[in-house]
Amino acid sequence: MSTSAETAPHPSSGMTSDMSARTLALREDAAVDRPRIDALPGERTSVEGRTQPSSNAPSATSARTLALPEDASVDGHRIDALLGWSHRFEAGMAALALGWMVVAVWRFRNAKRAASDGGTKRSRAWVFGLALSTFLVVDGALLVGSEGYLRDVLWNLQVPATDPRTVRIEINAHQWSWEARYAGEDNRFNTPDDVVTWNDLRVPAGVPVWVQLVSTDVVHGFSLPNFRVKLDAIPGRVNQTWFRAAREGTWEVACYQHCGTSHYRMRGELRALSQEAYAAWLREAGRQAVQAYDVDDSAAHWGWEWKAP
Amino acid sequence: MSLLSLDHKDVARRYLWSGLGFLLLGGLLALAIRWQWAWPGQPVPGLAWALPESRGALTPPTYTAVFTMHGLVMIFFAVTPLLFGALGHFVLPLAIGARGLAFPRLSALGYWIYALGGVLVLASFAVRLGPASAGWTAYPPLSTSAFTPGLGQTLVTVAVLCAGTSAFTYGLNFVVTVARCRAPGMTWGRLPLTVWGLFFASVLNVLFVPVLAAATALLLMDRLLGTQFFIAGAAAVGGGGDPVVYQHLFWLFGHPEVYILILPAWGMVGDLVAFFSRKPAHGYRLTAGAMGTVSALSGLVYAHHLFTSGMSPLLGRTFMVLTLLISLPAEVMFLNWLMTLWRGSVRLTSPMLAALATMVVFGLGGITGLALGAVATDVPLHGTLWVVGHFHLTMGAASFLGVFAGLYFWFPKMFGRALHEGLAKVHVLSSAVLFLGVFGGQLAAGYAGQLRRLYDPYQYTYLKHLLPLNQWTTVCAFLLGAVQVVFVVNLVWTLRRGRAAEANPWQVGTLEWTCASSPPGEGNFTQVPVVLRGPHALSQPEVLERLGRDWIGQAEVLPGVARQDTTEEAVPASEGTVSTVRSVT
Repeated sequence: MSTSAETAPHPSSGMTSDMSARTLALREDAAVDRPRIDALPGERTSVEGRTQPSSNAPSATSARTLALPEDASVDGHRIDALLGWSHRFEAGMAALALGWMVVAVWRFRNAKRAASDGGTKRSRAWVFGLALSTFLVVDGALLVGSEGYLRDVLWNLQVPATDPRTVRIEINAHQWSWEARYAGEDNRFNTPDDVVTWNDLRVPAGVPVWVQLVSTDVVHGFSLPNFRVKLDAIPGRVNQTWFRAAREGTWEVACYQHCGTSHYRMRGELRALSQEAYAAWLREAGRQAVQAYDVDDSAAHWGWEWKAP
Repeated sequence: MSLLSLDHKDVARRYLWSGLGFLLLGGLLALAIRWQWAWPGQPVPGLAWALPESRGALTPPTYTAVFTMHGLVMIFFAVTPLLFGALGHFVLPLAIGARGLAFPRLSALGYWIYALGGVLVLASFAVRLGPASAGWTAYPPLSTSAFTPGLGQTLVTVAVLCAGTSAFTYGLNFVVTVARCRAPGMTWGRLPLTVWGLFFASVLNVLFVPVLAAATALLLMDRLLGTQFFIAGAAAVGGGGDPVVYQHLFWLFGHPEVYILILPAWGMVGDLVAFFSRKPAHGYRLTAGAMGTVSALSGLVYAHHLFTSGMSPLLGRTFMVLTLLISLPAEVMFLNWLMTLWRGSVRLTSPMLAALATMVVFGLGGITGLALGAVATDVPLHGTLWVVGHFHLTMGAASFLGVFAGLYFWFPKMFGRALHEGLAKVHVLSSAVLFLGVFGGQLAAGYAGQLRRLYDPYQYTYLKHLLPLNQWTTVCAFLLGAVQVVFVVNLVWTLRRGRAAEANPWQVGTLEWTCASSPPGEGNFTQVPVVLRGPHALSQPEVLERLGRDWIGQAEVLPGVARQDTTEEAVPASEGTVSTVRSVT
């Protein structure tokens, strides 16, 4: 993959501070200069990308309405499996409760005699025992399964912190777009070679992606439905999470917290590239960023010292 | 009935009509949301008069106002007023043998504060920029004037304060009434489960509604006085505040609130299942204890609403454990209901059908909440229609059906007329089935990833395939709206020319049916009853043998049993012999 074939994000996307220009750039830049980048493996053609937002969610698998969104992450299958177990328990409990009710009503409807007691010591103990064992099995499985995922993945920032290949991204959520900042060659944020994109996240497949997230206006919710990632963007604090893309492709970034009139249009795309393609893109985008750097554009100069986990 | 009457039954009727009115408004708003998800941007039938510029189609700003007001109206102005304001005010004093509430003036005042809030809500639809639009949770900074400048947001925030004040006053009133005004012999162990549910929920009102009032008052100050309790980021000047503090305060109220909305319904289900199985409730103490345990835990689980807010793992784990813990007492209670049916003689009257339907929708709602209580499984479902379907099954469908279980049960007592039983059954059954259709459809859409509060979900490619599902769900919702006509017809017809109700149509022993006329007069009882037994004395062999019926009043002396207190004078009442003491008032 030659570097000259790569494109930078729309030149205005990272460098202007004017809000309307930003939003415009954002809506457009997905469609700008796409032919070459679409030559990358796992990408759709630009024509598709222009008319209909490209996505790897193929109609064949996710047309099944009762399925979770396609899982494109390395670790998400653990949540999905836990949810699968949870659903089996839920179905069992619902069947038991409903079946019991139906049988009881069927069998004892207008019965000639009714029992005169409010249960015996034994029947009450039985109720408590059944409730307790259901609770221990169902809630216990959820707790243990959840705890494993939290320990190994969700709250284990040691993985991205210790992996030398980790990609770090600072995301600034706005009404109504996702502004993402990559540190560039110098590996430091808020420097001239930072790559800034709008509604256009690019990550290498297979390596940890470590996201730190802020908002400067209202509360937003950063979600990657296909990666089982959700995190609030709250003014005044830096939140962080991480994920790994299992394969190359294009997926969607969605806002899940009501953030105003155009909340529903706060949509971004996430492209998982091969590691080489990602490195090439970042290099070229960083080069263009340095050229376009405007010292006086103070609103474009944001970014923070990377927060320790 | 004077509008200034302080009688608890008159206050209850005021809440009933207001609550039903707001239920209609909230329901229509819900249909507008459903329409938008099925036919995005298409004109909503019959809405052209309100939205002439778009010829009746919802625009994004209108849509945000519609879903915000749907939530606020339903929670603060429809369901709570119906459960507490109408059924609670009416039943609670009667069921414990009190002549009224402990503080009659406070209860009347509470209604008028609620009514003022209702007027503000209605007025907010008429002001420029429309009513509130920051979601029912009103998270700042979105809900501050920098991002939602309209007067409507302020009016509605004040309206919520009014509803909260009213909820606090009747909460306090109910707690004191149950603690201090029970009839002689009405021990805690003889209270109907309905009273237990109302009592626990009232305690929660007293404890947690002030937290909402505090959060809302601080938010109002941020909107009106330039304070910055909850403002951070670009809108903050100087240090600013912290939006997360609001989220914690809000949910510290918000989660107990969902139990406030369901506890009275739980209590009614417990009673009705026993009444219409013609046998005592299974594990009465266990059930009351379970409701108490849920109430005690309800304030300790709230932060599961904030699992994705970036809170510390320690808090996340703590709230995960506490949240899962609450399912244990809930299961005990549910199994007790099922055990009550067993070996009973089940009568499928309209209140019983409504109680069974409440059990079904509440059971499904509870079960679908399990995955939301664990952090890992919450992540993919957080903020989706799965959550919406889950909590609508519990505090929407279950509370609604609970309200109708209570209404169908006590309507003859409230108005002295009997509703048409067939129409009532049709209404309950069709509502229950359609509720399952609507909220089942939302669970499915949410599981497939559909996020809440999206004006046009199909902006997202990964949600495009959900359009047909959402259309079916919307059809169910409109049918659900349509079948409510059955209730309205039944109500209007019965109030005009319904037959007079029998004295004790359900043949149960609680005080309101055995010691008071229908409707009860001023002061409820000619003489305050002396309670001799619990609320579910059904199918007792000695009663069957001596009276030839399967029920006996809570204050009814069984013939042939030696009177223990000879200083009391027995007077005949409508059914059987009732032990009474002379009124001291």
